[in-house]
Amino acid sequence: MLADVITPDLFASAVRVATPLALAAIGGTICERSGVVNIALEGMMLTGAFFGVAVTYFTGSAWLGVLGAVVSGTLLSLIHAFASVTLKTDQVVSGTAINILATGVTGFLMEVIYGHPGTTDPVARLRPLLNLGNPFNGVLADIWRWIDAVFFSHTPIVYIAILLAVVGQWWMYNTTWGLRVRALGEHPRAADTVGISVVRGRYFAVLFSGAMGGLAGANLSLEQVGSFTENMTNGRGFIALAANIFGRWTPGGSYLASLLFGFADALQIKLQPLRDVIQIPPQFFLMLPYILTVIVLGGVVGRAVAPAAVGKPYEKG
Amino acid sequence: MAERQLADTMGKISAWRGILERIAMPIISVVLAIFLGALIMLVAGFEPLPAFLALLKGSFGSPRAIGETMLRATPLLFTGLAVAYGFKAGLFNIGAEGQLFMGGLVAAYLGVVMGGVSLWINIPVILLAGMAAGAAWAFIPALLKARVGAHEVITTMMFTFIARYFVSYLVSGPLRAEGAVAQTVRIAESAVLPKLHDLLGTAPIGRAHAGFIVGLVLAVVMWLVLRYTTLGYENRAVGFNPVAAETGGISVSATMIKALCISGALAALAGVTEVLGLHYRLFDQFSAGFGFTGIAVALLAKNHPIGVIPAAILFGALSAGAGTMQLEAEVPQKVIFIIQALIIFFVAAEAIARWIVRFTRKEAIEDAG
Repeated sequence: MLADVITPDLFASAVRVATPLALAAIGGTICERSGVVNIALEGMMLTGAFFGVAVTYFTGSAWLGVLGAVVSGTLLSLIHAFASVTLKTDQVVSGTAINILATGVTGFLMEVIYGHPGTTDPVARLRPLLNLGNPFNGVLADIWRWIDAVFFSHTPIVYIAILLAVVGQWWMYNTTWGLRVRALGEHPRAADTVGISVVRGRYFAVLFSGAMGGLAGANLSLEQVGSFTENMTNGRGFIALAANIFGRWTPGGSYLASLLFGFADALQIKLQPLRDVIQIPPQFFLMLPYILTVIVLGGVVGRAVAPAAVGKPYEKG
Repeated sequence: MAERQLADTMGKISAWRGILERIAMPIISVVLAIFLGALIMLVAGFEPLPAFLALLKGSFGSPRAIGETMLRATPLLFTGLAVAYGFKAGLFNIGAEGQLFMGGLVAAYLGVVMGGVSLWINIPVILLAGMAAGAAWAFIPALLKARVGAHEVITTMMFTFIARYFVSYLVSGPLRAEGAVAQTVRIAESAVLPKLHDLLGTAPIGRAHAGFIVGLVLAVVMWLVLRYTTLGYENRAVGFNPVAAETGGISVSATMIKALCISGALAALAGVTEVLGLHYRLFDQFSAGFGFTGIAVALLAKNHPIGVIPAAILFGALSAGAGTMQLEAEVPQKVIFIIQALIIFFVAAEAIARWIVRFTRKEAIEDAG
């Protein structure tokens, strides 16, 4: 039984389902490091997922779909940036409005374009980047099966996420702009005093998180599923925020924390067919990622320190 | 004497002006949101005017339509009050939906097993037990917030998903009634909330039930509690300035726990009344996102309990009329969500309008000086 669960595909699947969480978490990290809370990642992901499918449907190109997803997420985040940075409204309230807006806009456009609610027609999915096959024999072939599945079997956005985690980590701690963004979230007045534009920096961070949310949505709809279903994000935007906290507000940490959530999710997917053997109803498996999120937040947050100025609008004075 | 009278009148005028100023922005927000909604319809190729006329017809056009609006407003009264109570303490209970599910669960269970007792015992007991379940469901997020600072927006949201899967398990497993549909057995007659027209002795107005009255009463009770009791004072003090409250001898963490649990109890009543007054049983999709719409209701009401009443009726009307709008003008119902989101934006962005007013006033004073 264990051999049916612990397979190369379990780990490959963990990397796959961690990807949308990781992308959104990295976006959330940059955004919160600049001092802006973004609970609208959920809505940005949903919008990205929809426009990814819709643009692919109209153009026939999944890559244009990915572009559409990123652009739609960014445009949605522009509203959040305008509301929370320029108008200084409550960031959580603005995020909530965007989440509701995303549900409405995607549902509305779905009925306008497809003529019915629920799920869209399927589109061609983005295929795995590599197809290396198995050139080995014997034990080597077994080992290669694991390496190939876990590292080389993925779709393009999965690799983009890994790249963004590495580059993001380097960027945040080794570049001027990385330092500036961190300063904005810790002590915006000090940053302002030395001539860093708080408004411009925060706009950049919020728009970046929107692009990441959109890309996460594209991964969900164009790589994992191949169609769009209403509210298909299912709270992933919120889990991503928890992953960002668990990862201590760093891009690399966010990615690793997302892997943990991804593994829990992959495990529950793998265990589903075995539910007759182990006598646990499927709903309890489905709860796992959410329960894990609460446990992680409850156990870790006390010791993790958030950026000091996160959630507070900056008043130039 | 004359001076005193003058001061009296001035006082009254400024009190009225205060109320007017407070309701002016929400009203402007709603008008703006509807206008923008119309623009979106136009861009998408629909005619807004017939759509809004159909919406109006479906929400206020007949006694039955008015009843439908009251029916849809009922759960929103409870979730709106719930979210508002949390906001008053500086807490954002985004998970009212989950607490609502737990209330519905308790109602569906007790409504069946308590069958046979008097209505006057049955309904109050279920209301109280439902509230306890909602409070319990909010307790862990509340505790985590107070003890380790885990953000309630994430934890209560996670608890909403857990509640949904839990209810889904129960209605398709242990509590499932015989038949093709995954739902519970119908509740006993003694647990059914009476229809509003039976209660008031008016002409039939459709499906509206006594839960609406419960919601109205609760709004007044909450207003009194917030205004005149220690509990309410502490709640407001912590929401206004936690540091000052703590210095003043109020335990911030205890107040936060109480606030989120009370908020959960209020939200649960939405689930209880939906089961006892409308569905008479529990199933997966028994809530149309009332917990989330409650956020919009609370924000539009500016967290004022009495303001929750018109706000809930407005969103109830939007939801009641949406079906007619889709049927007669063929505009997808989802446009209601867009309008809802826009209302939140405009209410939240009110800060900028106030700031402009204050800024221009200050300039005028400086210019005069």
